[in-house]
Amino acid sequence: MGRYILNRLIQAIPVIFLVSLISFCIMQLVPGDPAILIAGPSATPAELDNVRRNLGLDQPFYVQLTRYYTNLLQGDLGRSLFLGKPVLDATIERLPVSMSIALYSMVLTLLLGLLSGLVAAMRQNTWVDQAVMLFALLGVSMPNFWLGLMMIVLLGVHWGWLPTGGYIPYTTSFYGWLATTTMPAVSLAMLNTGLLARITRSTMLEVLRQDYIRTAKAKGLPGWMIIGKHALKNVMIPVMTVIGIIFSLLLSGSLVIESIFSVPGIGSLLGSAILRRDYPMIQGGLLFVATSLMLLNITVDILYAYFDPRVRYD
Amino acid sequence: MKLGSHWRIRLLLASAAATALVAGDASAQQFACPKKGGEIVFAQEAKVNSLDQHTSSTISTRNVAMNMFESLMTRDENFNPMPELAASVEESKDGMTYVFKLRDGIKFHNGKPMTTADVVATFDRYKKVGIDRGILDVVESWEAKDASTFILHMKVAQPTFLENFSSFSIPIVIVPAENAKAEPMQLATVGTGPFQFVEFVADSHVKMKRYDGYNADTRYKEIDGFGGYKQACVDSVNFRIVTEPGARVAGLETGELHGAEDVPTKSQERLKQNKDIVLKPLKNFWIQIATPNVSIPPTDNLKFRQAVQAAMDMDEVMEAATDGAYQLNIGFQYPGQNFYTEAGKETYNQKNAAKAKTLLAESGYKGEEMILLTNRDYTNMYNAALVMSEQLKAVGINAKLLVIDWPASVQMQQNTNTGWNWFFTGYGTNTALGGVAALRFHAPPFNTYKPKTPEDADKEFIAAFRAIENGKTLDERKAAFAKAQARVLDQVLALPFGSLTKVQAVRANVQNFKPFRIPRMSNVYFSG
Repeated sequence: MGRYILNRLIQAIPVIFLVSLISFCIMQLVPGDPAILIAGPSATPAELDNVRRNLGLDQPFYVQLTRYYTNLLQGDLGRSLFLGKPVLDATIERLPVSMSIALYSMVLTLLLGLLSGLVAAMRQNTWVDQAVMLFALLGVSMPNFWLGLMMIVLLGVHWGWLPTGGYIPYTTSFYGWLATTTMPAVSLAMLNTGLLARITRSTMLEVLRQDYIRTAKAKGLPGWMIIGKHALKNVMIPVMTVIGIIFSLLLSGSLVIESIFSVPGIGSLLGSAILRRDYPMIQGGLLFVATSLMLLNITVDILYAYFDPRVRYD
Repeated sequence: MKLGSHWRIRLLLASAAATALVAGDASAQQFACPKKGGEIVFAQEAKVNSLDQHTSSTISTRNVAMNMFESLMTRDENFNPMPELAASVEESKDGMTYVFKLRDGIKFHNGKPMTTADVVATFDRYKKVGIDRGILDVVESWEAKDASTFILHMKVAQPTFLENFSSFSIPIVIVPAENAKAEPMQLATVGTGPFQFVEFVADSHVKMKRYDGYNADTRYKEIDGFGGYKQACVDSVNFRIVTEPGARVAGLETGELHGAEDVPTKSQERLKQNKDIVLKPLKNFWIQIATPNVSIPPTDNLKFRQAVQAAMDMDEVMEAATDGAYQLNIGFQYPGQNFYTEAGKETYNQKNAAKAKTLLAESGYKGEEMILLTNRDYTNMYNAALVMSEQLKAVGINAKLLVIDWPASVQMQQNTNTGWNWFFTGYGTNTALGGVAALRFHAPPFNTYKPKTPEDADKEFIAAFRAIENGKTLDERKAAFAKAQARVLDQVLALPFGSLTKVQAVRANVQNFKPFRIPRMSNVYFSG
């Protein structure tokens, strides 16, 4: 197992290198000049040149690339052109915000998605199954920004149960954190819950038709033991893959949700950076997200290997 | 040193006028907070990048930072220059020297008294990193004569110098000398204003609190523009970044927000019915505009540009661009401003399809593609372009939209040889700043005007523009402005569509909040 983990980590290095290179090159190709955005569209050419010189944007491509990798190897992702602080600091500041919402959303997704999928499978072709599948279809079909706005109107304005936006760190107030993150987390969880419920149901149905389940039933094992001990472990293999995908969806979907709910997370940070052409921030942010997703994938693979030992020997 | 006094007199007059304006009569008392305390949570739409006023050109920075920083001179309610940290300014007769006396008893938020050493250090920094440092190009040097006398020595006399100098676009806010060595975007938020910095979490909020050591300007009775008699009535202000318009409205309705800028038009009718909310329309927030690329066909042809101008129905454009929150406006200043003129009005809002077709025929137009470069980040720019393209198609112009994001469109606009013919933008702060600032975009070396070479620039316009800068009296400068505006419109060097109204709103218990180009939090208090 240790060797397997080591291999997976080593395989990630060239991928991270490629991501960093591609993000750097894309930034050079994308039209839009941060100097104009800093100095204003009406700035004179001389003023723009000054800003570019100050930022080092007047240097040739290879000089900028060399400097980027030299810094990167020293753990320095550069300094944001607009925030006036190191990219790593800016990212780390936002991490708890995004992670806490993503994890909250993930917990909701797992609880609702897994449970409803399992229940639907075990009550196949009953009204329970149909209700769960209808709920899943709604979740998959509903745009999360629309759901977010509807929740603001109903839960925030009409009923006044939850604040309409903002973010209170859990270190300040757990209740405040719960109040400010519930609507963003539910908005994000809705689509994923639907996805997970459908996958869990179909996988469970497939597993329940397997010979070993029939054998277990024939041996007279109680239902909870058949599900818990024999079926669930095999259901988890495809479900783990979906969970990995869901987490990446959480990160990508968070840009819109963070904007609607005024949450200062990584999605919002990257969105602003893109609009401002804050090159170091975009490159650093992408690298950070890519690395996080890579580690997530490796974790999923490791869990996969745990649930199905054959994977380790592929 | 022989000094004239006309600026001092003007400033005193301005002070007196402002005082009379806000106080009503000479016996009126200075504003006193009827009630103190509480926190105002104000939603601002644009994200704040930095609070370093010397190196940020964005409105969002000004919105927040101008409640904390102050300058030697600023602008009054009508955007005329007025003293702020300066007690007086005297201009020498030859216009080569300006002597500023500082007001007594000013202290920075760190408790340190402000002296001319801080002013000198601030000017040194602004000259090095200030984005608008070009306004100091006419200044030879500066010096601190003593702790309260600051002198500027000019290279050349510039009659509009104090107008430029008091610009709040990227203002020369005075900072402590020990902070003035800061790199761009790294300036510590220590100023002299009524509020002092507490916390800045990017994309989330900026919090500031009352500065108890603030020395209000007793020459005035009330706040006046960015200056006047200011004080913090509330304990703190929290500028929350709420980019989503629906979320701003929802926050106002629930009372989580006490104020918000830019309330969407579609929500205004509903909010008007809500007795807990007061709408505060801010007329003439910016001019919606398109500028031509006069270096490439077909917009290099004057007859063609005049055909475009003749075809335009500005009501339709502005209605779509602003959802009805607009006023038609000729040119680059607003009624009530010193430089407002209707010069060139015969070119505006003609809606004359027949004339447009005649001009098109005279121009030799053969149906070449004409590109309207716009973006979706600013919906009003996109909508204006969309309507304009339809109006032009109706008279036979092969208009095509090129929609990219704002940064890319701005960069593309910098080039004269790329495929665009009209660039959509808005003039906000510079229009508020007066004659020179409003028209400078059309004069080289600024980037909006696109002749093939500087030599191809419109000489008649340039001459008129220089006369605005150098006219000795206000009347001379106003006459030059009228001439310059008429020339821009006659030569179709820009197409101003009209002015946009921005609606700010507050909860009904927020008192004394007056709509302005930035949300001013001084003298604002809670009732009840």
